[in-house]
Amino acid sequence: MTQLVVTGLHKAFGDHPVLTGLDLEVPAGSLTAILGPSGSGKTTLLRVLAGFERGDAGTVTIGGSVVDGPDAHLAPERRQIGYVPQEGSLFPHLTVAANVGFGLPPRQRKGPAIAELLDAVGLAGLGKRYPHQLSGGQQQRVALARALAIQPKIVLLDEPFASLDAHLRASVRADVQALLAETGVTGILVTHDQDEALSTADRVAVLRDGRIVQCDAPQDLYDRPADADIARFIGDANLIEGVLGTDTVDTILGRLRIEPACLDSLGPGNGAAPGTVRSGPATVLVRPEQIELHADDAGARPPTPGWPGVDGDHELSGRVVSYGYHGHDAVIHVQPDHDSAAPTIIVRTLGGPQLPPGAPVTLHARGPVLAWPDAST
Amino acid sequence: MTASQTLQRPGPPPAPGQADARIPAVPPRRSRRPVALIAASLAVACVLALPLVFLLIEARGAGTAAVAHLIFRRLTADLLWNTVRLTVVVTALCAVIGTAAAWCVERTNLPGRRVWAVLVVVPLAIPDFVVSFGWASLWTWVQGFRGAVVVMTLAVYPLVYLPVAASLRAADPGQEEVARSLGVGRVRTFARVTLAQARGAILGGCLLVAMVLLAEYGAFEILGYQTFTTEIFTEFNVSFSIPAACALSLVLVLLSLLVLAGEGMLRGRGRVTRGGPLAARRMPPHRLGRATLPVLAGFAALTALALGVPVGASVYWIFEGGAHAIGGVSLSAAALHTAMYGIGAGILDTAAALPIALLVLRHPGRLRLLLERSTYLVLAMPGVVAAFALSYFAERYANGFLYQSAPLLVVCYAIMFFPLALVGVKASLSRAPASLDEMARSLGQRRLAVLWRVTLRLAGPGLAAAFCLVFLSVVTELTATLLLVPTGVQTLATQFWAYETNLSYGQAAPFALVMIAVAAVPSYVLGRFFDRSAHAQT
Repeated sequence: MTQLVVTGLHKAFGDHPVLTGLDLEVPAGSLTAILGPSGSGKTTLLRVLAGFERGDAGTVTIGGSVVDGPDAHLAPERRQIGYVPQEGSLFPHLTVAANVGFGLPPRQRKGPAIAELLDAVGLAGLGKRYPHQLSGGQQQRVALARALAIQPKIVLLDEPFASLDAHLRASVRADVQALLAETGVTGILVTHDQDEALSTADRVAVLRDGRIVQCDAPQDLYDRPADADIARFIGDANLIEGVLGTDTVDTILGRLRIEPACLDSLGPGNGAAPGTVRSGPATVLVRPEQIELHADDAGARPPTPGWPGVDGDHELSGRVVSYGYHGHDAVIHVQPDHDSAAPTIIVRTLGGPQLPPGAPVTLHARGPVLAWPDAST
Repeated sequence: MTASQTLQRPGPPPAPGQADARIPAVPPRRSRRPVALIAASLAVACVLALPLVFLLIEARGAGTAAVAHLIFRRLTADLLWNTVRLTVVVTALCAVIGTAAAWCVERTNLPGRRVWAVLVVVPLAIPDFVVSFGWASLWTWVQGFRGAVVVMTLAVYPLVYLPVAASLRAADPGQEEVARSLGVGRVRTFARVTLAQARGAILGGCLLVAMVLLAEYGAFEILGYQTFTTEIFTEFNVSFSIPAACALSLVLVLLSLLVLAGEGMLRGRGRVTRGGPLAARRMPPHRLGRATLPVLAGFAALTALALGVPVGASVYWIFEGGAHAIGGVSLSAAALHTAMYGIGAGILDTAAALPIALLVLRHPGRLRLLLERSTYLVLAMPGVVAAFALSYFAERYANGFLYQSAPLLVVCYAIMFFPLALVGVKASLSRAPASLDEMARSLGQRRLAVLWRVTLRLAGPGLAAAFCLVFLSVVTELTATLLLVPTGVQTLATQFWAYETNLSYGQAAPFALVMIAVAAVPSYVLGRFFDRSAHAQT
């Protein structure tokens, strides 16, 4: 069942369009992340969903009834939407317990439900404190408990972890995820952090220029981004030039197999039979973890000049530009030897020796890869 | 970073026809207008406009040529010179004293800061005409321009001190640290960062000071200093020359318009923003070091001059004129009436300021902002104009039913001091941000419930402060009271004035002291409010 449907939503502030025909469907009980850079209209979308703003055009349907449309606008207090803003927005004049019970009818405000909720978010016994006596992570938990107290149809989370420390973020995030799963409430999480979106949500919707450009499960989004920009936004990406073949593409990393699912969308002729001859320049996505890196002995291999050949098992030689150590892995930028103006290649390795800048290395790529034909100019 | 940049980069442009198809043909839906708020605000603004309407009706009645003749004469030029030079000098002095005192109390390790914070504000409780009486009754050189500068500066500098202290407390002290770390020296940091943070507050305070000066009557009457307001009072009340008074009032209103516009232009776009509320942090105060003693001496001198002289003079005259019997009954009766009027006007004003403050803070718009700004014009209306306007309307449209009645006087006070209430109410409402209201609504609360359970709770202390501000202004008001007080009733101010003009200083003095005592309570509350808000910030 679909809990939330947004169709053709437009919203502009003055002459500045923010949402330009946004479509979104959110299944009941799922946790969907809205991923987009700052300024892409994420918060505006949430504010329209919560009812604080009206859309200029389009409809918002929650649980089958239209809450914002040409003839209808349901007031925020009648939508049953829990809202957890970035800064928590706890009521400073009320205790934690009173904050959590704020949206309940007067008789239930002091009932056992409050203590249960506080327990659920890991704040048992803190009900009598005031918001300013809590840490940032605790404030976020109270804000979540307060939103869940009204038994909402949907919970909106507006970058709720952005103001937290890295280690705190992970634990609060995991708790939120578990709590939403347990209560079965549909969640919409807005974030600009692709790690957060991929690791927390069941589905990730990428927001760009006021529209959802792709909405998929995290794995699908990472493996099959709809275009090069999305690929670059979701994780590190090498986007290199290539020349299309039948079911391969030729690049400086050699001739690479194209992901079969991607072949269908490649021209000429969608859905063309296997073996269709393709040609022309393309942009090829090679993820950093698809590349193997071998350290060469110093001076053992002279730089190969010119465009390398395109035989099956090609190796690209280059030199290390930078070595970023992340503990569990390392991200290495490599400058190909044949062209000092070419973009650096990003490689992710697990372990291995630390390489100083200038160290000669050999790269070897593994398919399959994604490719998008370049727009003819 | 690069990822987000690339994503923001517009993709290949869609075909033109396709792009057009996406733009909705229907006009955009509007969010619901706050109809009730707008209606209430308009009603309040209309009542506030009554004095101006009266002025224009009267001026029209007198005829353009007659009014022009009354305006373009030597007297007007003299009054203009007197009014303008006094306003400029006193405003500048108040800006310096008020800002310096606020900075010392808020940002340095001045010994006894909590005590000074109260003592520096208390002069606000002393009516300007009592300060004037105190100085002029002791020393004969206190008169004319020189006397007016001394007396008015000491009487009104707290109007700059209060907002500047509040803004220095609310501003992010970390900005000073950042400036210092960027290699900017102490003095230049003060000029470029601290003053910039307080700029809006200083300008706002100066606006209040200038408006008070333009409307002051009692103090100048005692000092024999002629300004527009004293001349208007004389024309109205002594010569009964309504057209002449109207003509002069028109010039005075124009003058205040200029002040308002000047303040608006100077304020410009300089908005103080601060980091998240979580970032509020107290910085270690500046160490005064060797300057401690001189600064302490300065505070002592300020307190002695602004507080000591008027109070001391009153006490002195009680003993000096001790032969007179002090009418105990009349004193308590006068105090009771004064307090009743003050409470009435305070409640009325706080309630009337709420819709306008909510409108401009929550639903800003050009016209709405103009509506709010227009209410400040009232400050420039001398009390005498407001008083006559109301009696005019009472006589003309209510058959004299309300003429010289308590409700009319309270409404008159409410009109005169509305801007003070508005400043306080706005400050208090900005502590109840709209995001909390939205939060409450998304939790299922209706608008009225949100107002009661969130907005008013958070704004409560500030609303009390606004009430106090109006209350103490009423206690120290003289001009309109003289004209509108119900027959047979005396307030503290009118009884004091009756004795003072009679040169019965010994009998006037107790009324001055009681006035100070009655007004001191709300000023103390005000001081505590601003003090507490500082602690709430940390």
